[in-house]
Amino acid sequence: MKWISFGQIPFSGRLLLMMGAVLAVPVHVGAELQGLSETEMSAIDGAGIGLVLENFKFSHGTDEPAASGEQARIFRIGGIKSTDGRDVDITVNHLYISGANSNFGENLGPVNLGRLLNPWRIDVVDGNDIGVANKAVLEFAASSKVAAGQGYDCMDSGAVFGSGACSSRPATAGYIGERADIGMQMNVAVGDDRSANINIHAKSAVIDGSYLRLWGDNDRRQMVGQFKLNFYSPELSINACEQDGSSCGSRILMSNFALELAIGNQLQPIFFDVDGSGNFVVEVAAIRRPQPGEIGADGLRSSSDAEAWDFYESYYTNPEFRSNLRIGNFSVGDRDFGSARVQGMLIQHLNIKTRDLSQ
Amino acid sequence: MKAILRAMLLAFTVSLHSLPAFAELARLGDEALSGISGQGGIYLSGDISINEMGGPVENSYFGRCDDGDKKCGARFAYRLKENGGWMVLDDIRGNFAFEGLTLRVRKVDSGFGGDGEQFNRDVLELGLPNTVRFNDVQFKISASSTARPTDPGFQQTDIFSVDMRGEVVMEGNLLVFPAGNP
Repeated sequence: MKWISFGQIPFSGRLLLMMGAVLAVPVHVGAELQGLSETEMSAIDGAGIGLVLENFKFSHGTDEPAASGEQARIFRIGGIKSTDGRDVDITVNHLYISGANSNFGENLGPVNLGRLLNPWRIDVVDGNDIGVANKAVLEFAASSKVAAGQGYDCMDSGAVFGSGACSSRPATAGYIGERADIGMQMNVAVGDDRSANINIHAKSAVIDGSYLRLWGDNDRRQMVGQFKLNFYSPELSINACEQDGSSCGSRILMSNFALELAIGNQLQPIFFDVDGSGNFVVEVAAIRRPQPGEIGADGLRSSSDAEAWDFYESYYTNPEFRSNLRIGNFSVGDRDFGSARVQGMLIQHLNIKTRDLSQ
Repeated sequence: MKAILRAMLLAFTVSLHSLPAFAELARLGDEALSGISGQGGIYLSGDISINEMGGPVENSYFGRCDDGDKKCGARFAYRLKENGGWMVLDDIRGNFAFEGLTLRVRKVDSGFGGDGEQFNRDVLELGLPNTVRFNDVQFKISASSTARPTDPGFQQTDIFSVDMRGEVVMEGNLLVFPAGNP
């Protein structure tokens, strides 16, 4: 008998099967179900869910109060305290996701997010394929990157096919593209001080290759994960304005901004926890130390335990475990500070814990 | 369209097992079924309230929203570690309303900058309602030592809270389809 995977059945058939499966529960089942062995299970590759947002546009914000003090729209993030105990209240004046050329969110247009042939995905993947041995891993992923030369340059908003490794395409005259303009204008109030108005805008943003993977750790009996954020934008700008938006200070402009952030990896996943006093804890445990004698005094493979040497070699050389930040040009107002580059950061230990300042 | 109709036909035939049959049903062959095509999808309008006035529980912690000393929103707690603390979505309340959320099966075989032609498959299309009206929608993200605030030793840290009111622009279609490595 030949096994066919769920994904090989046509869509209509799958829908039918799913409906059938749900409806069949209270009905007498005619066929006997048989358990699958581990080997059989491992040969089955599940089909995930692909998501594409077509002609998508999102916008929400906070309006200025009318004479009566009423506001039509409010979007507020609160509950945060400053270190000196004052309430911090972030009023989001405008949060948007729009098509290209939105002029900092002024002219919102539609954009596609994800490609039909390389969609955003929610999937349970076989851990053995991604270096997490014998685990089913829940993965939320943006469009994956493609081989260099099979895609589009991640940065250039006029990129053509064959120029890079990003799957999402920039907007052209005839097509809205898959790269969104995103931005957030906010007013940060610390106590009664409402002076800080901060605006962040990213043009033609691409997050291809980003993912969040979650699974359970048997030894620590805890949820663990792996987070990768790729963020490319030809222009990321930050500026501060008067509260009514009338005049703005110098714009901090970062052109060709590329962030490749890796928090947690197969060898050092991130652990999530809440401790006994109700504080959220995020931890990346340090890599295990080599046992005495595992690594030779000269550090060479020939004088070391081969398996242990390979383990550390892979840990220190795998570029997937490293975070990078590149800024093509950094300028404030009319002053240029040139380019900046932070390459190959490896998070070796991390422990972040929230603290309640009100106690 | 065909898929929905076929699924509905199946649902109908299955549910008939438990119902008295008024007419005799003749079985349709696969071929006959494949010749039938249905129309349209589903159009939804909604008005959803979550604990707008207060939840069903009234005790030392939960109460009505007009009682300033009590929390009135819903609480959803989940644990990240065996015997560990709880992540909490707390004080969830408010009302949101939308007009014209659509649901249908659509065949995509063109558009999308040339992807549609290659894709050439059915997708489930969720048409976003253009605007969603939020009426004092609030929630808090917190971390707590116990699942219920009435449990002994309860300690909680509110990380941040979100408060939304007014019309949110949400345009476009969400397309859902099987992906992965079939």
